[in-house]
Amino acid sequence: MASFDRASSARSPLIPLFPQWGRVSIFELALILTCIALVVVRLPTSFQDVLLLTYMFAGLALAWNIAGGYAGLISFGHAAFFGVGAYTSTILYLNLGLTPWIGLWVGGLLAAVFGAVLALVCARLRGPFFILSTLAFAEVVRLGALNWVSLTGGPEGLSIPPVSGYANMVFTSKAIYAWIMLSYAVAIYAVTKALEASRFGYYLCAIRDDEDAAAAAGVNPLIGRTAAMALSAGLTGIGGSLFAQYFLYLDPTFLISPELSFQFALLPAVGGLGTAIGPVLGSLLITPLSELLRSHLGNAAAGLHLVIYSAGLIVVMLYFPGGLAAAIAKLDWRRRRS
Amino acid sequence: MTPLLEIRNVSCRFGALLAVNKVSLQVAKGELLGLMGPNGAGKSTLFNLIAGVLPPTAGEIVFDGKSITDCKPYDVARIGIGRTFQIPKPYRQLSIVENVMLTAFLREKTTAGARRIAEETLADVGLADYMGTPINALTVGLLKRLEVARALAMRPKLVLFDEIMAGLTPTEVGSMTKFVAGLPARGITVVWVEHVLYAIMKTATRMVVLNRGEVIAEGAPAMLARAPAVVKAYLGEEMDFA
Repeated sequence: MASFDRASSARSPLIPLFPQWGRVSIFELALILTCIALVVVRLPTSFQDVLLLTYMFAGLALAWNIAGGYAGLISFGHAAFFGVGAYTSTILYLNLGLTPWIGLWVGGLLAAVFGAVLALVCARLRGPFFILSTLAFAEVVRLGALNWVSLTGGPEGLSIPPVSGYANMVFTSKAIYAWIMLSYAVAIYAVTKALEASRFGYYLCAIRDDEDAAAAAGVNPLIGRTAAMALSAGLTGIGGSLFAQYFLYLDPTFLISPELSFQFALLPAVGGLGTAIGPVLGSLLITPLSELLRSHLGNAAAGLHLVIYSAGLIVVMLYFPGGLAAAIAKLDWRRRRS
Repeated sequence: MTPLLEIRNVSCRFGALLAVNKVSLQVAKGELLGLMGPNGAGKSTLFNLIAGVLPPTAGEIVFDGKSITDCKPYDVARIGIGRTFQIPKPYRQLSIVENVMLTAFLREKTTAGARRIAEETLADVGLADYMGTPINALTVGLLKRLEVARALAMRPKLVLFDEIMAGLTPTEVGSMTKFVAGLPARGITVVWVEHVLYAIMKTATRMVVLNRGEVIAEGAPAMLARAPAVVKAYLGEEMDFA
């Protein structure tokens, strides 16, 4: 999977050209500047939608990657945390008038609690058994949201009144949403990089690679897994709150759908599991592709966009098994030589 | 002097099988204790009881004056007991240096500090030239040395070695034996389970022989090689520990 030579990073220059473990590179800085520029140039509205969704999914994929990539907790249930975040901030706003700027932190916190509970309940499950449990967990949360009508509005969902203003976090300008989503992605990117540079990040990798060896190094695997899942779920929950403020309508069958969960897992898998740049590259490639295919082919031939999309994924998986991040690492001639 | 590690009447039962039966032994600071016995003697079980992998059914284990009977593996590691795995368990997606850093983190919270300790330890066990090698390219001998490096990087008071010679070439056994023999002088007490007897007989300050879960002999290596109980336990034949 991850193919960065982390061992040699201590010897390389001050700011490396290509992404490295726990360090900021010129490649990443250029990428962030490009992302900022794309918002500044004010693309046509339809492209701005794609752009902000790309940023949002980059952030969500990064959040998923903390549990799935670094700690090895492959989850097909992250849409549940996304939904918990979205519902929490929205319900707090609609019922109590609490501004979503605060509500999103409450949503994130509640999602983190859900994540910790999932990790503790599945403490003894590994591999496919863990994955299936996450899938089932999300289904339980979805059915809960669907049936607790007094709180969530049930199948009819919840609508946020489209009254624009900073206090209620609703904007007419897409650019502001793009800024918010970009900040979200950059913030989680920073969290990921900090994780890589920290003892805790190494502990997660150790738990992923060999739990017995990790325990012999003084690591409590259960605490590590729980913390990773809580962090990942909490960040996903914040993303859910942000999405709610953009979409202004919460529908349990979309918000907590397996499709969305798969999407969160797919982007890091395509980009490179257990790398910081991977989920970002995955979203930059996949999100615009799927949006464009859907808008251009969705009407002409229903389902054709999914065929093309899936074929593309198979090609990526076949030729870049380590993800796009591994392909980029190969460009780094200085370290390939050694 | 109080022993560093004391095992008091420890038993471990798996269903009908009594794998370890009321074993008592003491390890003094600075000792290199060899643990031997035929297959199924209970060596690995005893090892796992000390390392916290298995809870004893009865008895008590005391380390450095504190009971570690109910400790989990990560508690045992934190109080200063390092261990190796009989079948090496490297972190496959991490580099060699990072593999060792993971245990060094018990002494140094920062990655830079842990990396420094890891590099020192790797040089110590003779893996300095392999720091850039992928884990999957390592031979059994090198993986065993990596196990030893990981156990030592936490700067333990006591290390538990589990068959670190198995699968090694005679040259590798020679250099590893010399290395292990030097550990007590550096303040590291060693408990060593080993099947490659000529290596352990040469270096151990004291040997304990287990058979069917019980201690059948104990003493200096040279004496034990001639002890009737030991000879009988090993297929009833006298062995040549050349």
